[in-house]
Amino acid sequence: MREVHLPRTPEELWPILDGEPEVAVYAGGTDLIVRMGTGRPDPPSLVCLERMESWRGVRDESGALWLGACTTFSELLRSGDVCGRLPLLAAAVATLGSPQVRNMGTLGGNLCTASPAGDSLPPLYVMDAAVELQSSRGTRRMPIREFITGPGRTQLQRGEVLTGVRVGIPQGFQVHRFEKVGQRKALACAIASMAALLKLSGDGAVSEGRIAWGSVGPTVVVSAEVEGFLRGRKVTPATVEEAAALAERAVAPIDDVRGSAAYRRQVAGNLLRKLLYETL
Amino acid sequence: MKSDIPEIGRSVPRADAAAKVTGAERYAADYYGEDLLWAAVKRAEVPHGRIRSVETAEAKALPGVVDVLTAADVPGTNRQGIVHKDQPVLCGDKVRHCGDAVALVIAEDRETLRRALSLVRADIEPLPGVFGVDAALAPGAALVHEENPGNVLLKAVIRKGEAAENLTASDVVVEETFEVPVVSHAFLETENGIAWQESDGRIVLVVSTQAPFRDRWEVGSALGIPMDRMRIIAPYLGGAFGGKDGATVQCFLALAARRAGGRPVKMWWDRRESLLAGYKRHAARMVYRLGAKSDGTLQALHCRLYYDTGAYAHLGGEVLALGMEHAGGPYRIPHTLIEGWCVYTNSPVAGAMRGFGVIQVSFAFERMMDILAERLRRDPLELRLQNALRRGDRNCAGVTLTTSTGIASCLETVRRHPLWRDRDAWTAAAAPFKRRGVGVAAVFNAMGYGRGLPDSAIAKVELTEQGGIRVYCGVTDMGQGNATAFFQIAGQILCQESGAIELVQPDTDRTLPSGSASASRTTYTYGNALIRACEELRRRLIGRAALVLLADTTDDLELLPGRVKHLRTGREVPLPGLAAMMSAEDRVCISQFIMPVARDGLDTGREFVIGFPHLLFSYAAHLAYVEADELTGAVEVKQYLAATDGGRVLNPQAYEQQIQGAVAQGIGYALCEEVQLREGRILTPDFATYVIPTAMDVPEIASLAVETCEDSGPYGMKGVGEVGINGPLPAVANALAGACGVRMTSAPITAERLLAAMRTAHSARKGGSS
Amino acid sequence: MTIRFVLNGNAVQIEAPADRRVVDLLREDLGLTGTKEGCGGGECGACTILIDGESRLSCLMLAAQLEGRAVTTIEGMTRDGVLHPVQEAFVRCGAVQCGFCTPGMILSASALLKQRPDAGRLEIRAGLSGNLCRCTGYAKIVDAVEEAAAELRGKKPE
Repeated sequence: MREVHLPRTPEELWPILDGEPEVAVYAGGTDLIVRMGTGRPDPPSLVCLERMESWRGVRDESGALWLGACTTFSELLRSGDVCGRLPLLAAAVATLGSPQVRNMGTLGGNLCTASPAGDSLPPLYVMDAAVELQSSRGTRRMPIREFITGPGRTQLQRGEVLTGVRVGIPQGFQVHRFEKVGQRKALACAIASMAALLKLSGDGAVSEGRIAWGSVGPTVVVSAEVEGFLRGRKVTPATVEEAAALAERAVAPIDDVRGSAAYRRQVAGNLLRKLLYETL
Repeated sequence: MKSDIPEIGRSVPRADAAAKVTGAERYAADYYGEDLLWAAVKRAEVPHGRIRSVETAEAKALPGVVDVLTAADVPGTNRQGIVHKDQPVLCGDKVRHCGDAVALVIAEDRETLRRALSLVRADIEPLPGVFGVDAALAPGAALVHEENPGNVLLKAVIRKGEAAENLTASDVVVEETFEVPVVSHAFLETENGIAWQESDGRIVLVVSTQAPFRDRWEVGSALGIPMDRMRIIAPYLGGAFGGKDGATVQCFLALAARRAGGRPVKMWWDRRESLLAGYKRHAARMVYRLGAKSDGTLQALHCRLYYDTGAYAHLGGEVLALGMEHAGGPYRIPHTLIEGWCVYTNSPVAGAMRGFGVIQVSFAFERMMDILAERLRRDPLELRLQNALRRGDRNCAGVTLTTSTGIASCLETVRRHPLWRDRDAWTAAAAPFKRRGVGVAAVFNAMGYGRGLPDSAIAKVELTEQGGIRVYCGVTDMGQGNATAFFQIAGQILCQESGAIELVQPDTDRTLPSGSASASRTTYTYGNALIRACEELRRRLIGRAALVLLADTTDDLELLPGRVKHLRTGREVPLPGLAAMMSAEDRVCISQFIMPVARDGLDTGREFVIGFPHLLFSYAAHLAYVEADELTGAVEVKQYLAATDGGRVLNPQAYEQQIQGAVAQGIGYALCEEVQLREGRILTPDFATYVIPTAMDVPEIASLAVETCEDSGPYGMKGVGEVGINGPLPAVANALAGACGVRMTSAPITAERLLAAMRTAHSARKGGSS
Repeated sequence: MTIRFVLNGNAVQIEAPADRRVVDLLREDLGLTGTKEGCGGGECGACTILIDGESRLSCLMLAAQLEGRAVTTIEGMTRDGVLHPVQEAFVRCGAVQCGFCTPGMILSASALLKQRPDAGRLEIRAGLSGNLCRCTGYAKIVDAVEEAAAELRGKKPE
């Protein structure tokens, strides 16, 4: 038998992390326990963060929302602040897993698993979220784009945990859109997804577009080129095609059992096509 | 339980529902037992290889390990199989697919078991493998079974008339090649059981199985255990769909029980092991040529069917036989030449699955009908009606249809339905970036084992000492609801209330051999036997009551709930009283029924040992409303209609359950299910990658019963367990042809495949116009 | 370790390895075999239980996490032999076939109806989308939950 720690406060947590360097950290268990079931990893002990009340919930921080890392997806979806002020995140989280997985899984878990298919990631990229990391040594913050370094890889150091995410509330964007293509309509891992915020000016031009794609690269893909191209551009069939072509070039997908790289590339472009055509 | 009589024809709630909704029903998986041991097998994980050695010493030395067995420890033939006995229980010299078993470990607990398995070292020298039918049939291909040159398990031909000449003479000929993938049954209760040895040496197995009586024989021959030295108990199953027809855990458990000193041993494959080692549906390639007159009358069919049976025969030959027998669809085709190959490869073992061989060809023949309709500019439903089989016709295998044949009525029912009449308005209302189409499919499915093997059941019914009725079911209920049909038959004939009727699930010691729960046969065959047994019991109860009530004729006596009543005088004898005066032997009635078979003296299909041809078929016409996304290729089935001829309906609710469930599985087959393989290795090892439909993926499914009367069936019924699964793939593919102008020839029709097909179709149109 | 929690309304205290999967604890140690295991990876929902009224997957929870929680398994849905309205509706509407998904399905449905008593058919489908059923095609399950919802709202089923 191995120990399963259930700390309630940071003061209870730090000695565990510092004293048992090989301890595996989880919150909902919907990633770690699944992988443990196949024999890897096989950690000597575990620490479950589900009772870390101070890292849970949604707080208003003047123009931004702080989302506790240990907040479950269901809690996010029940939060009026999240649904009202971060509708893009809410839309993405609503497609994640199943009701049970959303009752268990947490925002922090989704980020630390750092799968390119993690449904909460593309919205957090487009909103330039910043993560808050803590350890017994202190606290550091960094943009999510820096935090996630590759598939399953993050900047998280030994003894350190993700405690919260700060998301600026997008201002003046008329279009908040999350699109996901999976193998089925629920309980689906994204084959490709797209999160987008669009600010439109009165003359049918895009004054600002922020777009991120999931499952089409080693991490979430954002493209300065696509965003730069769209800025100030009037949406016409020709610009739509050009933007989609840029998107197809920006992504770097791979083949896997759920879909080929070519399909993912095509869908990445098509999701942008759809978004832009619908503004017409 | 309500005190009413569960009569035939009513939507009687299932007899098993109350225990299942409270969690009280005990499936095989729910048996543990005192002092339990756990067993599991070491799998090859190599698709084809020569076993150099299997080292077990280290595992055996691990504290908590009771024993580790290899092929050398298997008594008997060490060969399992239903028709062909070609599958080792534990492999000794060679492994033929990744899921082959090389060692059996028995341990005190699951954690020890897991560690012991990792300590068993199988040294396997890889051999070149054969993957897919082309590789298997190529000259010089590696041999899966050395004794089987060419890797052909079965090559067969069905010939009727002169297909080649009549294809040449046809006004139009359409051709296409179709492919369908390996899929998994994906029942929720994975393969499992528990076994122990009694003090007299007899082995008892409680196992999730579709065929307890056949298991006894299969296990017995593989392990050299006389049949009477084994008892097999088969509780309600948590799904099976064919995947528990044939030995899964049985031989391992019997072996382990003999090493366990009387302690119970449990084996329960997890989902990954189930996907790795469990039986699958045959992948197939089907090459079709169909000829017709310009007025749409079908003239001739030539097709070549290649079924990939994987590493072992299981029921591969019989699956192919059914595919070939149904290859022409429910249509009148005067000339047919149907060639089939069932081929060994180093892929997972394909065996029985709902729609047994038929679902594959249903895709082919129903797409061919739509291709022909398009070519002739005919309404696809009318073209089907024009050619639909009618009673008295000979089907594509040459069998004269002497029994109920309702395909035309099914098609007419769909034609009358608002969903068919309103289809154009619906398709026209597609949103931007969406395409809509409506497809039909006409399908059928044989019932019973077919010639060569008696499709028999032996029913047993008892008046208990307490005056209740006990039905001893010889055939398992894997969820399809046959037990409830038996409950209703007993209620109907014996006029007893639900609470007075008890069902005993199959147990080789208590119930009588009644065949497997398969082939859409259970209610038909066992039901017929049970009607006779119940009628005999009824006569007997009335006759014995006459003695008690001093009635000079039985004409005035009636069997009523809980009693026999003398109607003229109002005097009664309660059933407990009657039971008290009857001997144990007198209280039991037993009757056997054997399904009738086709009588045509066919001069074809002689290669089939068993399972060809069939006499009785269920029919269905399906209609699918399908929407496709132009930008992602994602397909959604929005509405579904199934009109089914399953003879008379004994329980409308249970009937709908079968249709709706089969359609949902068929939608999975159409859209998302595929066991992906690379050189024999499974790339979809779990439920995260092998995906089946959720509640969000299945539309509302309307089921209409087209009630013909099957004279030979219990109360006029035919089996409907399978026919519904055959329609969705062709109906969806036909709808997509209309919606997107694509000719889908491979399943599943994933978003990716559809988008690629739309692209090709689009550039072909562009190319054509330039 | 010692774990204290409320199981189907009764306070219990058990000794169990902290890392034992809850599904194993329930089935093997406590004999509550109504909770089923279908995949062991959180993909099928057969092992669904309620933790403080919310649906969870017992195959992905470890015993230590039960400390202080209120656990409801299918065995706890029946009070004094009286079926819960969702259970009754499952029987009446024919929502049960093989029944292996049924306990998890019923628990998910009852949690859904607590949160959304007015759930319509689409919402019911979404609410049950974490529970796979291979037998029914979901049609009669949705019927049953719809009827149970009506009954729980105090109306007669139509």
